Amino acid sequence: MAEGELSDDGLLAGMALGEQAAAVAFVRRYQRRVFGLAYSMTGDAGVAEDVAQETMIRVWKHAPVFDPRRGSVASWVLTITRNLAIDALRLRRAVPTDPDDFAAAAMRSNEHNPEDAVQRGDVRHIVRDALEVLPPEQRRAVVLAAVYGRTALEISESEGIPLGTAKTRIRTALIRLRAAIEHQEEVNDDR
Amino acid sequence: MTDDMSEHGCAEHQEALSELALGVLTGRDRARALDHVDSCPRCAEELEQLSRAADAVVQAAAEAEPPIGFEVRLFERMGVTDVRRRHRYRPPRWAVGALSAAAAVAALAVGLSLGLSSSTPPSQSAAPAHGVVTASLVEHGTVVGRVAAHGGAHPWMWMMLFDSSAHGTVDCIVVTSDGVSHQVGTFVAKEGYGAWVAPPVSTRTTSAAPRSSRPAGR
Repeated sequence: MAEGELSDDGLLAGMALGEQAAAVAFVRRYQRRVFGLAYSMTGDAGVAEDVAQETMIRVWKHAPVFDPRRGSVASWVLTITRNLAIDALRLRRAVPTDPDDFAAAAMRSNEHNPEDAVQRGDVRHIVRDALEVLPPEQRRAVVLAAVYGRTALEISESEGIPLGTAKTRIRTALIRLRAAIEHQEEVNDDR
Repeated sequence: MTDDMSEHGCAEHQEALSELALGVLTGRDRARALDHVDSCPRCAEELEQLSRAADAVVQAAAEAEPPIGFEVRLFERMGVTDVRRRHRYRPPRWAVGALSAAAAVAALAVGLSLGLSSSTPPSQSAAPAHGVVTASLVEHGTVVGRVAAHGGAHPWMWMMLFDSSAHGTVDCIVVTSDGVSHQVGTFVAKEGYGAWVAPPVSTRTTSAAPRSSRPAGR
């Protein structure tokens, strides 16, 4: 976000009041992230557009009930996208993208200067780096759960591993990601 | 931590917390874990941290350019008609914005000033809706922004400029009904465009008259 641009919270507050200018600015800021997530999950540009459009309409409609104390705007918006993409995949009985492909696309993406992003506390780059150093089986498990909404039982069945192993992979990966985020926050605090 | 964990039965819920944070815990396991978290601040804190990490995985997704025409189709569905790009910078001849609402929860008069040359009549206030008072910010008779204020236990003020001549630091001044001006914050406008959400406004008043702003020397 460049100097003089509105914060996400500011834009959403404007949308909550029905301001079209805020809605336009919000769509232009988030459309690549929202479409990107939907496309990363579905692998189908048509489905991803439907999901992205529905996400934006829901944000526009429900902006007044957004509560910043419960999380960031980005988290709220992308969770809506994720849930809609999961629904779309189920409705169409479509095959989701492979979690390894999702992770690979995330890890090689470089939309912004990572150093700037880290300084601003942009969690995306921290997590992308952390995903890269996870053992592949843990990365796959945590992406299946966090992005595709798969339970430990579903992961154990699809991966052909015992339930306990699936649970351990999920938990270990998530704890490592949390540690990476906390470490970066401590570094930022020391600056 | 180990003693605390065994004392509160945390250990047996540790595994479930990750799945709870990821939103993939179901049935009785979910109910049991939630029940424990409700009564255990330590696990509630851990759940919050794990949930942030889980959210971050979703946020890490690669960006992608939507298909051509995406915006047009979307704005049509949203009923958005004003899709202009922002105006270029114009020399600041910024005048007045004002808000008035005598019956509002926390009625406030607001003035914006930036290298003020002359005052213009304040805009008309809008009726309070859901405890929020809104009004237009007017520059030379043209609406160039909006301001909203909310009273109650957690008061806030929000201001947005979307087509003004302001460029640079903008002062937000609240004028209470006793005539006292309070500078509650500043924000940066760029090429007429900017927004700001105030921290809780400590100034309270029960009524206010429309008030033109005065030069702030910025």
